[in-house]
Amino acid sequence: MNCEGHLMTQARPPNPNPGLFKRNPPIAGEAEAIEAAKNGDAEAFSRLYSLHKRRVYTLCLRMLGNVSEAEDMTQEAFLHLFRKIGSFRGESAFSTWLHRLTVNLVLMQLRKKGLNLVSLEETINPSEEDAPKRDFGSRDPVLTGSVDRISLERAVASLPPGYRMVFVLHDVEGFEHNEIATMLDCSTGNSKSQLHKARLRLRELLRHPSESPQPDVSTEAAK
Amino acid sequence: MSVPGDINFDDLKPEEFEQYLPELFATSDKLSDDPRLQKLYAAHPDCLALVRDLETIAETARSLFEPVEEPSDKVWANIQDKLREESALAFDQDGEQLREID
Repeated sequence: MNCEGHLMTQARPPNPNPGLFKRNPPIAGEAEAIEAAKNGDAEAFSRLYSLHKRRVYTLCLRMLGNVSEAEDMTQEAFLHLFRKIGSFRGESAFSTWLHRLTVNLVLMQLRKKGLNLVSLEETINPSEEDAPKRDFGSRDPVLTGSVDRISLERAVASLPPGYRMVFVLHDVEGFEHNEIATMLDCSTGNSKSQLHKARLRLRELLRHPSESPQPDVSTEAAK
Repeated sequence: MSVPGDINFDDLKPEEFEQYLPELFATSDKLSDDPRLQKLYAAHPDCLALVRDLETIAETARSLFEPVEEPSDKVWANIQDKLREESALAFDQDGEQLREID
């Protein structure tokens, strides 16, 4: 997959996902900072970094599961932003545009690393043996309505990379399946299937937290 | 698996129902309230339990959108250093400074 083409393009359609705009409402002073940054205003760059560093870093950390790599990728994302901000035309929320840029950088980085690439592809197209088992008839009624943010964060961090990627992109970041399919170079059906399997795996992890494999470096470790 | 337009969910077995779940979740905001599925849920409460659990996970995931982590100060320092380097390089090559950070 050629991720480079997705990095800074206005890939969102003219009628973008209204849900994303709802989740990315305009930030006071952001539009002015963007215009000033386009003209090379250093203070405006600093302002944009302050406004968006936490979301970009958190996204990187969730996708990579590693503090050091997440910081490196945050740095790369903002360097790309500063170099290419002139191509932002405001057809989508700025944060949506920035997150798409970040996601594509992370994916490119993962694909450059042989092991992660294999791991990602394996879980994007897992064998049936790897898929979460069907679990009708053995439901734990405690789960419904009682999932807290910290437990879910921990469970997400222990997902296989491919599952984690699709879950974070769809359920956390709010990307649509067709967008995820483009980013991950898979079909929309594959994206839907992977999301479902990710949720099934999370259900198991949340029902039996003691059986959860410990992630190498979870977001908890970043604290 | 795509969902046939004329499908009757009432008589599906749980295993058959789950084959359609990825597509059903992609097209419904609240699958547990979907009127097409209420008879199936009544016959197979575990199907409803599964759907509700997965809805709960998806709903809780939205709360993760708000960031809780912050990069260390060295990230911004590195960014400034890199941009200074690039700015100096641009000055050398083009005869004028394109961008200055401080």
